[in-house]
Formats: sequence, C-alpha cells, structure tokens
Amino acid sequence: MSLLLRISLAAIAVSAALPVYAQTVTITTAGGDYGNAIKEAMWAPAAKELGFDVREETQSDGLAALKMQVTSGAVTTDIIHLGSPEGAQAAAQSLLEPLDYKIIDPNSVPAGAKSDYCYPFDSYGTVMSWNTKTYGENPPKTWAEFWDVAKFPGRRALRANAQDSIEIALLSDGVAPADVYSVLSTPEGLERAIKRLEALKPNVAVWWTSGAQSAQLLKDGEADLVVTWNGRAQTVKADGGAADYTFKGSVIGTDCLAVPKGAPNKEAAMKLIAAMTQPARVAKLTDFIAYGPVNPAGYEGGLIPEDRLKTLATAPENAGTSVFSNADWWVKNGEAAQKAFDEMMAR
Amino acid sequence: MTVLADTALAADARRERRFFLSLSLPALFIVGLAAILPIVWIIRQSFLTTGGEYTVGNYEKVLSSGLTWSALVTTLELSLGTLAICILLGTPLALALASARPRVANLLMAFVMLPLWTSILVRTYGWLVLLRRDGLINAALTGSGLTAEPLPLVYNFTGTLIGMVHYMLPLFLLPVYAAMRDIDANLIRASASMGATLGQAIRTVILPLSAGGIFSGSIIVFIYTIGFFITPAVLGGGKVNPLSIRIERTLSTFQDWGSASVLGILLLILMALMGVMFLAARRLIAGRKVGTAHA
Repeated sequence: MSLLLRISLAAIAVSAALPVYAQTVTITTAGGDYGNAIKEAMWAPAAKELGFDVREETQSDGLAALKMQVTSGAVTTDIIHLGSPEGAQAAAQSLLEPLDYKIIDPNSVPAGAKSDYCYPFDSYGTVMSWNTKTYGENPPKTWAEFWDVAKFPGRRALRANAQDSIEIALLSDGVAPADVYSVLSTPEGLERAIKRLEALKPNVAVWWTSGAQSAQLLKDGEADLVVTWNGRAQTVKADGGAADYTFKGSVIGTDCLAVPKGAPNKEAAMKLIAAMTQPARVAKLTDFIAYGPVNPAGYEGGLIPEDRLKTLATAPENAGTSVFSNADWWVKNGEAAQKAFDEMMAR
Repeated sequence: MTVLADTALAADARRERRFFLSLSLPALFIVGLAAILPIVWIIRQSFLTTGGEYTVGNYEKVLSSGLTWSALVTTLELSLGTLAICILLGTPLALALASARPRVANLLMAFVMLPLWTSILVRTYGWLVLLRRDGLINAALTGSGLTAEPLPLVYNFTGTLIGMVHYMLPLFLLPVYAAMRDIDANLIRASASMGATLGQAIRTVILPLSAGGIFSGSIIVFIYTIGFFITPAVLGGGKVNPLSIRIERTLSTFQDWGSASVLGILLLILMALMGVMFLAARRLIAGRKVGTAHA
C-alpha cells in the first residue's frame, strides 16, 4: 500500500513538474515566407495542442545541413524539411531515422508518394510563367512554344539545376508526360534533354539559383519567360506583378518532413509530424502559400475554398498534362544528370 | 665584471624575448585553431570516400573533370580582370589623393572608405538595382536615347566584374595611397627642377617608389577575389562559375565533401602559387632598384 502511495506521489510530482520541463523539439525549415507558412499553419498549432516547446532553425540548403549534423555527430534538429528528391537521397545515405508509422497515419499518403523516411506533406508545380506586358493575351501555352524563340521572342530564365529542367526539355521536344522518365533513363534520352537545353541557352538571360530570385526576375521584368515554382508565381501575381502562369505541363514535386538519424527527441518528433500534418493543417497551409496537400483528406469537406483549388498544382482539374517528379530516379541518376547539365553550362 | 654584466644582459634579453613570445601565444593558439586545424581537416577529407575510407579517387575525379578547369579559368579571369581594373583606376586615384591638400585628401578618403563599411551583400544587391534591365543605369541610357535597347550589364561576366572591382578598389587603394604619401615631395621637385615633365616624374620617381604599395595592393586584391562567392553568385546569373561556386555546387547538389575538399585545396595551392610569384616579382624589382643605385 505504501509502495502504491509512493508511486502515485511520485507520479503527481512528475506531472506537476511536466509543464516546467515541457518537451522541446527543434524543427528546421527553409525559412522565408514558406517557412513562416509552415509555422503558422502547421507546427505552431500542433505544438500548442501537444504542449511542446518547438524551436525553429532555418536553412536554405536542408540536405547539406542535415549531412553536416549527422556526419559530425552533433545533431541538433529533430525534424527537417526537405524536398522529396533530397529526402530520398538522404535516406540512401542513411542520414534519416525511419518514420514511425505507428504514430503517423500510414493511410494519409497516397501509395505512389509514400516514403519510409521522409513524410510528404505538400506539393508544388514547376511551372511556366510569363510577363503579361510582353505577351499580352497570347503567351506561350506549351513547353514547345516556350522553346520557340522565333514565335515568342524574349528573355528566358531557368533554374541552374538539372532537376525539373531536363523533364521540361523533353516535354518541349514532344515526349509524353508518362514517358519522360523512361526516356531519361536511356543515355540517349538524357543527351536529348541536355541538347534541347543547350539549344535554348543563348536565349536564357539568367540561370537562377533560388526560388526568391526567380520571383524577383519575374516581378522586375528582367526575364519575360520564367520557369519557377507555382507558389512563387502566384505570389508575384497576387502582389500585382505583370505576371501569369500555367499548370499545363508542370512538373509536380513534393516536400517532406524527416527525422535526422540520432535526433535528440525522436519520438516527440514523430508525434509532432503526425500532429502538424493533420488534414485541416495542411489544408490551412494554402491560406499562406499555394502548395496543396499530399494527403487526399486535405481536399475533402471544403477545407480548401473552391476558388483556391485552381491555384494548386495537384487540384483535380490541373492533373493530366503534368509529370510527377520521380525521387527514386533522381537518387539513382541525379549525379550523372547534374554533371551533364553543368558541362552543358560550361560549354 | 664586464663578462658577467654581458651574460646578465644576454639573459635579460632572452627573458624579454620569451616574455614577448608568451604574449603572442594566445594569438598563435587562435590561428592554429581557426586556420590550421580546418585546413588539416580539409586535407584529410579530400582523401576520404563518402563511406569514410581512404582513397585518391576524389583527386582523379576532380582533376579529370573539364568543369574544374573551366572553373579555374573563370576564377583567374575574374581575379586578374579585377586586379587590372583596380590598378588602372586605383593608381591615378591614389596619386590624386596623395597630392591633394590633407583636408581634401581626408574628405576624399572618407568617400573611398564608405563602401567598405557596408555589407558586401547589400552592396551586391545594390548593383543589381543599378545594373538590371529596368535599373537606373539602363533607364538613363534608354531614356536619353543613348541606346535603343537596355544593355546587358548584369547576370553576366561584366556585372560580376563591376561588383568585384567596387568591392576591391578601396582595399587596393589603401597601401598604394600610403606608399605614395610617404614619397618625399623634394624628390619630385628635384626631378622637376632637372627638367622632368609630369609624365617623366610619374614614371621615374613616383611609380618606382610606390611599387611596394602597388604590389601589396595587388596581393590583397588577388587573394580576396580568388575565393569570391557572393558577387558571382548574385551578379553572374548562373553563367559565371568560378571555383568557389563549383565548391558550393559540389557540396549542396552532390553532397560530395571529398571532391569539394579537393577543389578547396586547389584554391589554396593557386593562392600560394600566386603569393610566391608576387613575392618573387617584388624581390626582383627591389633587387633591380638596388642595382641601379649602385651603378
């Protein structure tokens, strides 16, 4: 009896002490408007619900930071926000803890997008955007037209990275969205994509290196045709910039959340991932930035207003012409593709 | 007695030397910690595979890649281009500053130094605002009808060079100005009294006497610019890719620390090589000066 009493006293003492020693979790995001959106819509309310004390770090290059932390044995972050190709790459280099699908609902991710290591929560399109002052009512509508410098003269801006660029190059060359990766998997296919980019190179005014830069180029009219992410294009358009964009032929990618190997608060991290990606929260993210949920439940029950659905890459009416970025292909072939791309740039 | 006093003096001197040496220990410690250790770490890293085994594969990969060599050429083009423009612009400016009245010189110097106190990032983005297609300079050019089309001033080699020269000019100017200010004005007057024209005075008196300053300035410019990252990254538009950007790409896109370390070592060797070359040239010129004095 006295033992039971002592245990219950101890339990009371512990629970009384709990608010003081609240569970802390550190999350690393890309920062900026996007990082802020993730905070406001997702982790801040989730942390409040769980009673966690969440600290935020920002890193523009999550994978490099993750690798630095894990290989040096000084892991300070519990959750890291990555692009899905980087997530797959990090998993292949054993930098991540496996996701605990006992805590996180395994049915919240469509089978095609599922990952054992990095939980995909939102999606975006790499889209074609243009200056409405330059093209008025007749902008290019397909990637083939984007490449057609005779019919659509103007300065182009593309990302200084093989990712998405080589997919787009093949689409512009008449490859069907469904065949992009099977064509790219052959050496001739990759070369075809690189040659196509090289042909456009004299008309590329800027090869941008950050999403913010691409938005700036579009907004300032520095480039007339910009390959950018739909969230960035939408923000420029909403801010009154002379810009518009299309989801036709977009390359759809997802961003994901992962737990670094050796993270100090692994279990709490899993709980926070589960809580912050509840359908209502990933739907709420679209209040701040036009990146739609991966979880199909996010589109149900009117969580996202009807008119906003049109601005999301994954909205039902935007599907069909787009290519889903294949993270596994990039893990296997990324280095070779990037090398070929860099060599093209240096020629 | 004198012998004793001598040894006592010598012991004193030794003690003094030891004392001064001990004073420099914290500085040596910091240099060792902050400079040498990371270099040792980078050298070690350059011999490791991603799995952590020893290899020379990183060297083979980096040195056999055409990308490395084109990055090296870009690096040298940027550094030497910046240096050439700094010498062309900075030397006359230093001359003007050194010959101005002290009050005017101080005022002008403040204008030269002002940009040094501004963050490089701010200055680089400032250039973007000035140089871009609808920027101030192009607006003035097209507005006044001087050019029909906006000039491509940025997102290319030109823009990168402009940004780098702007950053380096004050750093080049300082040693050159110091050297020129120290020239005895009587020497210039003497040359004038013996019939030397202004051009001859500059060529035969001022430039040789300020050569040391110009060399120091050149070394500073070269060593700074060889590792420049922000300026080519922001103003180069993805088309100007020196070694520093190659290193960043190798790290962030490929997570290949071994190859990135090799590139870092390459940069270090390049810097050491150039340093030695500059010093040798300086000694050569100094030697020639002594020679002519004796003749």
